[in-house]
Amino acid sequence: MPVTQLRTLDYVVMAIYFAVVLGIGWALRRKMRTSTDFFLSGRSLPPWVTGLAFLSANLGAQEVIGMGASGAKYGIATAHFYWVGAIPAMVFVGLFMMPFYYGSRARSVPEYLKLRFDEKTRTYNAISFAAMTVFSSGVSMYAMGKLLNLLLGWDFDTSVLVSAGIVLAYVLLGGLTSAIYNEVLQFFMIVFGFAPLVFLGLRATGGWEMLQHRLTQAAINAQITPTSYTHVWKGMGDPATNSIGVEAFGLLMGLGFVLSFGYWCTDFLVVQRAMAADSMTAARRTPLIAAVPKMFFPFLVILPGMIALVLGGGEGATAVGGIGQGLIPAKLGANGAALIDATGRTVLDYDLATPMMLVTLFPTGMLGLGLTALIASFMSGMAGNVTAFNTVWTYDIYQSHIRKGASDEHYLWMGRVATVGGILLSVAAAYAAGAFNNIMEFLQLVFAFVNAPLFATFALGMFWKRSTGHGAFTGLVAGTLGAVVHHGISLARGAIPGIKGGYFATMLTYPSELAQTFWTATAAFTTCLVVTIVVSMITRPRPDEELKGLVYSLTPRPTEGHLTWVQKPATFAIAVLAMTAVLNVIFF
Amino acid sequence: MSGAAGMDLRYPIGGLFTVLGVILAGYGFATRGDVQLYAPSGNLNINLLWGVVMLVFGLLFLALAAVAGRREASDAAGAGREDRGGARGRDH
Repeated sequence: MPVTQLRTLDYVVMAIYFAVVLGIGWALRRKMRTSTDFFLSGRSLPPWVTGLAFLSANLGAQEVIGMGASGAKYGIATAHFYWVGAIPAMVFVGLFMMPFYYGSRARSVPEYLKLRFDEKTRTYNAISFAAMTVFSSGVSMYAMGKLLNLLLGWDFDTSVLVSAGIVLAYVLLGGLTSAIYNEVLQFFMIVFGFAPLVFLGLRATGGWEMLQHRLTQAAINAQITPTSYTHVWKGMGDPATNSIGVEAFGLLMGLGFVLSFGYWCTDFLVVQRAMAADSMTAARRTPLIAAVPKMFFPFLVILPGMIALVLGGGEGATAVGGIGQGLIPAKLGANGAALIDATGRTVLDYDLATPMMLVTLFPTGMLGLGLTALIASFMSGMAGNVTAFNTVWTYDIYQSHIRKGASDEHYLWMGRVATVGGILLSVAAAYAAGAFNNIMEFLQLVFAFVNAPLFATFALGMFWKRSTGHGAFTGLVAGTLGAVVHHGISLARGAIPGIKGGYFATMLTYPSELAQTFWTATAAFTTCLVVTIVVSMITRPRPDEELKGLVYSLTPRPTEGHLTWVQKPATFAIAVLAMTAVLNVIFF
Repeated sequence: MSGAAGMDLRYPIGGLFTVLGVILAGYGFATRGDVQLYAPSGNLNINLLWGVVMLVFGLLFLALAAVAGRREASDAAGAGREDRGGARGRDH
């Protein structure tokens, strides 16, 4: 039985949003004349548009649902994923890496690897990236179908097929521009849909002070350190005294450096948005503009989860069945009974924290708006993946291996075909996610291993002219193996050997799964770094002339003569970092 | 600002939120005093309140788009004159 039911007005709100989304695609259909228009928006978009899209492209299901879930599970410490795990990397990619991505005129991140290193490094990155986009958009679609079925009783197949159809239509019509415009629209939908949720939630709890008080009580009841849910840094000295089970060094190294730089600085899904900007300055400003709302997003997406943990009585519990905490229902096993963990506690279905807040606090009207914002985030995550997929497929796989030297028209046609293909594969992945849960978990792990060493390759490529193609390729493969080995010999406390690690032996035990993830990434990064350096030293480097515009020491600094000091990206970057530091102090 | 992509995004954003704002504020106004409807939101007519906020935001974006459109038109007319801010003459 569904948790809630929508009224006509809610459907009207939803219909208006989707009409605008499709309308944007329709209005752009005649602008898509060349493959550059379709894949790179003709490099013509203003920085506020690419900046908000840079932020939104990552604002898929993981962000909205997942961060609410983590908020309920870990409290405000989840903000580390933003203030440590995103902002510094976003500043870095804008200031130091964009000059090479944008300046080299590469059309994709794998293509940069081709220009800087060689074909095999590019192909390795292109294939793993393309597979990952299809997979993650499928998982996101699956999560949406399941959630809408549970909340509203909508048919799973219909949810998946209709949302896939809408995304297909607007990407086919308007290419990357259409995806980017809709990401900006979705950014505003999320803000307008979730700000009132936080406002009503805080009002219902009795304000921020009262929320802190109740979360402290909840921490005491759960027999964990009282400040666990309400402080970001307090307790980070020891994994035992904070909610995420990591000490500060592991957090800064694993999340703050390896994982976040690996994602924000090398993932084509986000970098593609900056590449669509209309100038070098605009491209460099793109991640910096994105960083400003990004630092305040914890209040929008994490707070609802924290509030859900302490709000109300058993609405959540009675609606879904079983016992829960606050608005969060218990996770149900295959037999329909609530799951109990090893310590005898009920396992909560944290993914429902934010959705339960929506259906509990919003009346008809606002409910339509909130759910539209949620669906919009699922769909634009899908569109982001599909636009990155069709570009990498067309330029880095099709054009470089299957059909070289065809006309631009042909590649534009291929891009549209790849869009259809990417969506079909995503839908297939969505159904696979439902049918083979374990395979999906396994694939997720494989991609994590492939991605973990990436930043070492890019950092060496951009800042060390001696690094070679053979070095980069061997380093990437070795880094992935390093991740496998580390994961295979380590285990989080309480986990059983298998998909969670420890399949070779249990030589290392971590206090939490997150700690294990952070250190696996660090191991991969270090292996890749060392192997790339060693192999580069014994292989022949490319001559300096070939590396102009691709390596820091051989590239003239971007000209900023016409910009006043206030307009310079560096000034902007310092302001962003200072604001982030202030937030860390406030919520220390 | 619209660039070669050819559409000022502020129009659809402004339009969307103006329409949504009118609908929600209108519904909120019509249902004011409905105790049962607004019990979930702590007896606050959130539809009316937030509808008005969205309406103001939407109108603001439409106004910004209109101003930018007019400036672009006058720029095109006086193309010979120097662009004072220089914002359009970006590096490449």
